Formats: sequence, structure tokens, C-alpha cells
Amino acid sequence: MGLGEALRSWLRVRGRSAEHVSFAVRRLAGMVLALYLVVHMVDISTLLMGEHVYSAFLQVFASPIGLVFDVVLWAFLVLHGALGLYSALVEAGLLLERRKVLLAAAWAAALLLLVVGIVVILYVMG
Amino acid sequence: MRLVVRRWKEGWRAPRYDVFEVEADPSESVLDLVERVSLKLDPTLTFEHACHHGVCGACGMVVNGVERLTCVTRVGDVARNGVILVEPLHGFKVVSDLVVDKSRMFSRYPDDTRTLERVAAQVEKLWDCVECGICYSACPVACSYPSYLGPSVLAWAFHRAVEEGRVPAPVASRSGVWSCHAAFDCSEKCPVNFQPGEKIMRLRRLLLRGAVEVV
Repeated sequence: MGLGEALRSWLRVRGRSAEHVSFAVRRLAGMVLALYLVVHMVDISTLLMGEHVYSAFLQVFASPIGLVFDVVLWAFLVLHGALGLYSALVEAGLLLERRKVLLAAAWAAALLLLVVGIVVILYVMG
Repeated sequence: MRLVVRRWKEGWRAPRYDVFEVEADPSESVLDLVERVSLKLDPTLTFEHACHHGVCGACGMVVNGVERLTCVTRVGDVARNGVILVEPLHGFKVVSDLVVDKSRMFSRYPDDTRTLERVAAQVEKLWDCVECGICYSACPVACSYPSYLGPSVLAWAFHRAVEEGRVPAPVASRSGVWSCHAAFDCSEKCPVNFQPGEKIMRLRRLLLRGAVEVV
């Protein structure tokens, strides 16, 4: 069984339940965050080349494209966190009878945090 | 009605989709249409069926993207714009057209026998499970991790754990309950509401509390 087949089964959307779609979003967000960790390590590593290099690199993230990048990253972070919390509870055998309500609450919390984050990123940091 | 069937037979380089125009009543089952195609239009179309009333679990297929027992799935409930797409279950090796090899599921029950034989041997039937394999097809882990024991087998293990207070070591291993990632499509698609996903999580809880012995 190849990687392509595995990814297709994870990220299948057609005919899938909200639970499966949430699983796919959580996994996808996790993979993006793992990739971001690598980018972040490169970002931090520029300190070795001097403060001016690091500061110049940070300016990239202060640009409009950088802000969009921050918003997308924040979206993945809150989705992974909120859906991960749902996952941690049900995977421990807790609140199984109310898992649909719990999942809806996780999505609601993620969307609320997303909106708050966008406001902060665009109007405070931007 | 337009019935689109995913076809593949041994020796073919790639699957293909055949389109059949068939008369259909909305109250008929999808299996009725498949049988009609086989009897009147293409006798080479292969598929599995037996009881025709949702008990044997033989006729599980993917209908318009959703795993269903086709004998109890009405045409009118699933057709989209007069089209029904029928595919074999995911997660199993396709033998021919709509027939899949479910041995990865059957071979992991404690005795390597089929349901009726287990009943005859006075070993319990799988409670309400009809062993259709739909939960394997719906599960993203079962479809990407061949060693995974699978939802119905682990749900069976939960019942055994509750009754006997112990589970076989593979159930408590990486290929067992710890590989489930709470996608819950097994429970959502199960035609008899056996709730394998919930049972796997309850078994995990028993293991975490040390309430069952691993043997």
C-alpha cells in the first residue's frame, strides 16, 4: 500500500461523515504544522548569520503576504488544536455518547478562535 | 436510470467504468439493479449477494461514494440526477468487479472460521455485527495500514473483554486499538449500528484503567 493510497483514504471527502472530514482536517493541519516547524528552525537559524540577517528575514513576515501566511498558519493551528482536543477526549473513551455535540463545539471553538486571531493579526499586528 | 459500475478483472491493466441504462423503480434496491444488469445486459459482471434482507453482509458496496448494504438501499434514496455509481469496498483486495477478498477481516477472528461455523461450534456470533466489511472500507486507518486489525474485530474484542476480563495481546498493540484515530466513519456507515468506533474507545478506556488483562 503506497503513500498515495494512504493519503487518498485519509483525505477522502466524498460521502464521508463530519467525523471523517474532521479527522482529515486534523491530519492535514498536523502535517502543515510539522512542515512549519522546519521553516521555523530555518528562520531561527538565521540568527547564526547575525542580527541584521534575522531582522531582515522577519521583515518578510511583516509584509501583506506575511500576514496572509500568519492567518493561514493560525487557521491550521486552531483547527489542529480544537479538533485534537476533541480527539484526545473521545480517544480516551470519554464523552462518547456526546461526541457529535463535542465535535460541533470543537469546530465552533476553532472558528471563534480563528476570527479572533484574524482580527489580532490584521488590526493589531498589521 | 443510469448505473455506472467500476469494473476490474484479473489481467486488466486498469479499472474502467461501464455505464448501463436500466429501468428502475425508486423503491427497488440497488442490488436489484446490479442483478438486472448481470442477468440481462452483461453476464460477466461479478458481485456478491445472498440473503437480500440485510443479514448476511455479503452485498456491501460503495454507492455514490458511501458504503452501503445494497440489498437494503433503495434506488430512490441514493440516485443523484438519475445516476448511481457502484464501486467495490475500499480496504480490501478486489477479486473481480464488485467482489472483494475479505479474508483480512475474517482471518483475524479468534478461530479462523465464518460466522455460521462459529455459531455451530457454539462460539458466539458477532453480536449484532453482520461482518459486511463496510467498517473497514469506511476507516481511513484500515485503508492505509494493512496490519490494523480493523473495526469489527476490535469491537468483538471489546465484548470479549467485558465478558471475560481479558484480551489477546495483538488487540492491545499498535495494530490493535491504539491505531484507531477517531474518524468514526465505521460507526457512521455501519448498517446495523454496531458502533465499532465507540467500542474501540471503550476498550481503550478499559486498558488505560487496567480493568482488563492482556494475554
